[in-house]
This record gives sequence, C-alpha cells and structure tokens, in this order.
Amino acid sequence: MNAAVAERADEIKELVCRVLEIEPEKVSDTDLFTEDLGADSMKLIELLANLEIEFDVEIDEDEIERLVNLRGVYDVLSAALDA
Amino acid sequence: MRRVVITGIGVVSSIGTGAAAFARALREGRSGARPIGAFDTTGFAHATGCEVVGFEPERWVRNVPLDEVGRAARFAIASARMALDDAALTEEELRRRPGLVSIGTTDGGSDDGERLAASYVHSGPESMDPVAARRLPASTLATGVARELGLSDVDVSTIATACAAGNYAIGNGFDAVRTGEADFALCGGADAMCRMTFTGFYRLGAVDPDGCRPFDVNRRGILTGEGGAVLLLEPLESALERGARVYAEILGYGLNCDAHHQVAPDGDSVRRCMELALADAGVGPGEVDLISAHGTGTKANDVTECGAIRGAFGDRPPRTVSVKSMLGHTMGAASALGAAACALGIEHGFIPPTINHTEKDPDCGIDCVPNTAVEAELRVVQNNALAFGGNNAVVVLGKR
Repeated sequence: MNAAVAERADEIKELVCRVLEIEPEKVSDTDLFTEDLGADSMKLIELLANLEIEFDVEIDEDEIERLVNLRGVYDVLSAALDA
Repeated sequence: MRRVVITGIGVVSSIGTGAAAFARALREGRSGARPIGAFDTTGFAHATGCEVVGFEPERWVRNVPLDEVGRAARFAIASARMALDDAALTEEELRRRPGLVSIGTTDGGSDDGERLAASYVHSGPESMDPVAARRLPASTLATGVARELGLSDVDVSTIATACAAGNYAIGNGFDAVRTGEADFALCGGADAMCRMTFTGFYRLGAVDPDGCRPFDVNRRGILTGEGGAVLLLEPLESALERGARVYAEILGYGLNCDAHHQVAPDGDSVRRCMELALADAGVGPGEVDLISAHGTGTKANDVTECGAIRGAFGDRPPRTVSVKSMLGHTMGAASALGAAACALGIEHGFIPPTINHTEKDPDCGIDCVPNTAVEAELRVVQNNALAFGGNNAVVVLGKR
C-alpha cells in the first residue's frame, strides 16, 4: 500500500464497512468479503463505485477480482492512485 | 426523402403538463424536485426526486381500461393524446393513414413489478394481483397508445435502450416518415418513478442529496424523475397542406453503441455519435446554436460529455444546457422531454437554463446558461442522450 492509502487506511475501512454493512471491529485485513462477511457481487460493485467517488479515481471493473478483502482494497486503491 | 416536421407536442412532467405549461416552466427555470412520495423511503438518508403530482390519467386514458395500463403507459398515452390535440388532428384522421407509434423507456412497468415482488415476499404468491401483472410488459407503453387512439395500421414498438430511449424512438419515427413508410409518427418516451431505479443510483452514490446541478463543480449526481413526452411527426408537405403549426423540423439523428463499459460513457464514442447526427442532418458544427446535453449531473457524465462536445465542436462550443437540472433524470422519457424542450425553444425563441448552478466546473468548459433562460433565435439545436452500455443517440432539430 502506498503512503496516501496508508494515511487514510482507517477512513477506507470505515467506507468498506459502511458499504458492506458490517461492524468495523469484526473485520480484519484478511477476512474475505464474500466468504467470511456475506457480501455479494452487487455489494462489490457498490464498493467499487464508492471508492471511485470517495477517492476521485477511476478503477477498472476487472479489479473487482482483487477486491476480496481489506488488503485487496488497499492494493487496488494504491495502484489506482499511482496510475 | 421527405422532410419531417413536429406539429404536435404532448408532455407530462414534474414542472408542467401540456406543451404550453411545459414551455412556461422551462422559461421560468422551475424545479420539479420534491420529497419522493411514490414509494416508502424509510431508511434512505435523503430521498428527493422529480415526481409528477396531480396527474389525472382519466382525462387522457378514455378508451383503454385504466387498470390495464401502468403509470408509465398512462404517461405515454396522455402525452400522445396531448400531441394529437396540439397538432389539431383527430383520431379518425390518424386512423386513415399508415403510421408509427414508438415509445422509449427504461423501466416500463417496473413500478408495478416491484410492488408485485413485495407482495410475493411479504404475503406469498397467492397475494399477487393478476391485473397488476398484466401492466408489467414494457410493450404496453406503445400498444397502450395504439389501443387508446384506435390505431390499427401502425408499426408499434417500445424501445428499451434505457436513458437514450426517447431519442431512439424519435429517430425511429423520423426514419419511417422520411422514407414514406408512415405518414405520421407518435414517438417519444415515458417512465414512472420506481424504488429499484432510485435505490440502484442511490447505492452507487450517484444521487445528489441536495438537487441536480449539472456542470457545477459541486455536483454529486442525478435526481430520479418521471414523466412522458410524445412528438407528433408528419411530412412537411402534409403539415403545410393542412396549415398546421410547425414547431421544428427534424433534420437528422445519429445512433451508436460502443459497449465499452456497463455504466461509464466513452467520450470518443459520444463525439462520433454527435458527428453521425450532424452528418445525417447535413449541418456543420458551426451551424449548431444550442446543445441540450444529456447532462445528468454526475461527475463522470458531465466531464465526459463536455469533452466529447469540445471534440466535435472545438474550443468554443455552442451553449450547452441540461433540462435535467429542472426535471431530474426521467430515464427513458429524458431525451423525449429534451427534444420537446428543444422544439419549444425553437418555436418560442428562448434557451432553457441549467438551474441550481453556483460554480462552474472548469473541467466542463461550456456555457450552461446558468439559472436564467435567455432569449435567442435558434436555427439548429442538438439533443443528446447517452445510456448505459454505451448506447448513444443524438437528434438534430431545425427551425422551419
């Protein structure tokens, strides 16, 4: 994860939890959104859209495959912000 | 090819019903935004939309049993009847001519569909209303118009190319009349507020909590809306013969579909669509006096669309307005309402404003005629529509 993402990690986690409707304290960096936290493909699209709006970046929809857990979100955002 | 003109306009909208009221509202820059009442909005942090209030379907739907047509079909039928009256034509006169009925939509009968789904979920399948189920098919929008007016010698289609559907339907009508396949066309679009559409945009973060403010630096998205608009098209020759009032001529249109992305517009493709429309119309970019933009008020649309406009028109594009600032995004009706607004602007010599405007987004780089209508002699006006999946449709109108 790059510096910008590291700095906003808490904020990102908050956004992810709001969109996926889960309690922040119950989520680790490696918990899987679909398998462990009950998200579905629509929620992941929603997550992608919210990340794009919040961080004013464009994220290719193929990146959804990497949005499997919080760590994936940090990686995808880092790549998008560096692009 | 025959020349094709608009001689009748019918409108149901959140800012006015009927061509005259709609024109007044556009000129005044009225806003249709109000708290949504069409469905339960409990749980949403904000729920503003551009709903049609006080619509009396029985004034317009006289022959088709009311319970057989949903809200969107009622909008379509009402708009078609108004267009007919506005053109000073009768049903009997239309029945004697071969014609076309084409209505664009995004949601069709989805408002009834989601209520049926809710009753299924809450009370089981036996609770579903069979009469409501008959209102579901989107095809009832166009067939409803034909049934209501007793038109049997007509080509009937409901076009479901989402937010560009109205322009598709107008292009369809234009082709039929200019080639001589039809002697009139009733074409436009209609959609009713529905919870599914609102929720989808809301959850994607694309609904502005405060109002729709296209091209504004602080814009945050659309407001969902509803309504209908139908144009009556006929050959110029028959319009002149019967001494009809001519609002505007349809000069041409362009369609393309790039399938580049599910929801994001592709700038190059939008530019090409505008170029196709201008080529079909036989006018150069320098001759266009006004663009009625798709102008949804989302970050992505407005920047991409304005970039495409500058690509086609250069660094000093014509004034570019968004009537969605007043009407919200009426989905399949949007470009039909936009085309009606263009025709009324041509007829009455004014440019409808882009309301709710505070601070121009420098990335848009257009003159959006902020907040107040201006008087203008309009000779050529372009009406844009962009839809999900990269379905673009652009109609060009001209003063007759």
